Amino acid sequence: MDTLNNLFLIIAAAIRGLFADPHSVWADITMDVVAFLAVIIIIVLAALVLILLERKVAGWTSQRPGPNRLGPRGWFQTIADALKLMGKEDVTPANADRLIFKVAPMIMFSLPLMTLAVIPYGKGMSPIDLDLGIFYFLAISALSTLALLMAGWGSNNKYSLLGGMRAVAQMISYEIPLIFSLLGVVMLTESLSLTKIVEAQGVVPFIVLQPLAFVIYIIAGIAEVNRAPFDLVEADQEVVAGPFTEYTGLRWGLFFLGEYGNMTAVSALAATVFLGGWQGPAILPGWIWFWLKTGLVIFFMMWVRWTFPRMRIDHLMHFAWKWLLPLSILNILLTGLGIYIYQLIPRIGG
Amino acid sequence: MFGKGLATGLKITLKRMLQPNITEFYPDVKADLPKTVRSSMGLEPEKCISCNLCAMACPNKVIELTSEKDENNKKVLKTYNMDVGRCLFCGLCTEACPTKALKVTQEYENAVYHPEHMQWDMIKRAKEVSRKEEKE
Repeated sequence: MDTLNNLFLIIAAAIRGLFADPHSVWADITMDVVAFLAVIIIIVLAALVLILLERKVAGWTSQRPGPNRLGPRGWFQTIADALKLMGKEDVTPANADRLIFKVAPMIMFSLPLMTLAVIPYGKGMSPIDLDLGIFYFLAISALSTLALLMAGWGSNNKYSLLGGMRAVAQMISYEIPLIFSLLGVVMLTESLSLTKIVEAQGVVPFIVLQPLAFVIYIIAGIAEVNRAPFDLVEADQEVVAGPFTEYTGLRWGLFFLGEYGNMTAVSALAATVFLGGWQGPAILPGWIWFWLKTGLVIFFMMWVRWTFPRMRIDHLMHFAWKWLLPLSILNILLTGLGIYIYQLIPRIGG
Repeated sequence: MFGKGLATGLKITLKRMLQPNITEFYPDVKADLPKTVRSSMGLEPEKCISCNLCAMACPNKVIELTSEKDENNKKVLKTYNMDVGRCLFCGLCTEACPTKALKVTQEYENAVYHPEHMQWDMIKRAKEVSRKEEKE
């Protein structure tokens, strides 16, 4: 059990052990490259599994089997789709702003790469353990607005631009309640480090202490990754496919990877901050607990997507500024009061 | 209460998710057709007396048949062609048939790649059907 729990740590130590001096610069660089590859593998695997799972969940909600032709019960479908995507022609519109058009998907893909690097996947298993983990995560994930706006602008297409503008309006609005909902947890743990936040949840996960913050985080998180019912950025019936309209082949695939990577990152942060991360009964290794909790959040997001219709754009804005923001500020106030009262108790007793 | 409708919606979709599929797995499992479906024609050439009543009953001139006389001066069916692209499967021909040699069947996989394949040689088709039945 212990071996299984520390499986990846043992592998990492083994790779480090290949060097004469395990703490030389070259060993450190090698470990960084390995961590980088591991995160890429996580994103690609997540996208492969999640795209299929999304279609399966979509099917199940309407009592269909979903894709069921390729492989056992259709589980190889995404591999075929990915291969098809690679074979597609790469089209750049004639009047596009070429540099911006081509850089946008790369930025979109690099963001989950950067955010997933700070998540603690198990005890001592963060690829990079930052003291400012949450801060870094939020700062980076906010940049996906930029990628979408660049794609919208660079395509030189009115629908793309509209989608890009919507992305800016929506994601900046929802960024604020998202950050405020995490502040309650930061106040409780007095730390911005994700590792410390997970360690603080040994007894009770923070969803018990911060239920309101969790609800706000999930809603704002769904809006942040542009999923239904908040998918106004790529609302097919209104703006074709928003910023993605002009993209083909692998560039579009990068956007898709980035999108599912972002979704994984947001769910992973929810699992880390509210559901206790890798903490769990010792019947399973910590990293499996982590992925189970992340999977649960992802499934909830899919369930919501295939249940609710899209919101109207003005309702979306009202909801963020008039409901989520005041509620998240209220949550901070209540958390502060709770901490104050908790600190008062021993003084009254003494 | 605010959000009650959302919870109801989630409950309904979850219930749907747990219920069995209602999809018919078509090519693997054949559909259970209602008795009244008329989607193809079948001929039993040995019953046919070449009376030509079917061709005369047809509103679209789908059926064309030829016959020859045998040594007993009896008509024997030689060719029986249907231009099934014009056929409505109305069944008037089967009603006209005095020996019930012609029947409406429920075969429905009738798609073909070329228009000329819609000219059905009914005698040949009858042989194919009997061969298939023998195999089964």
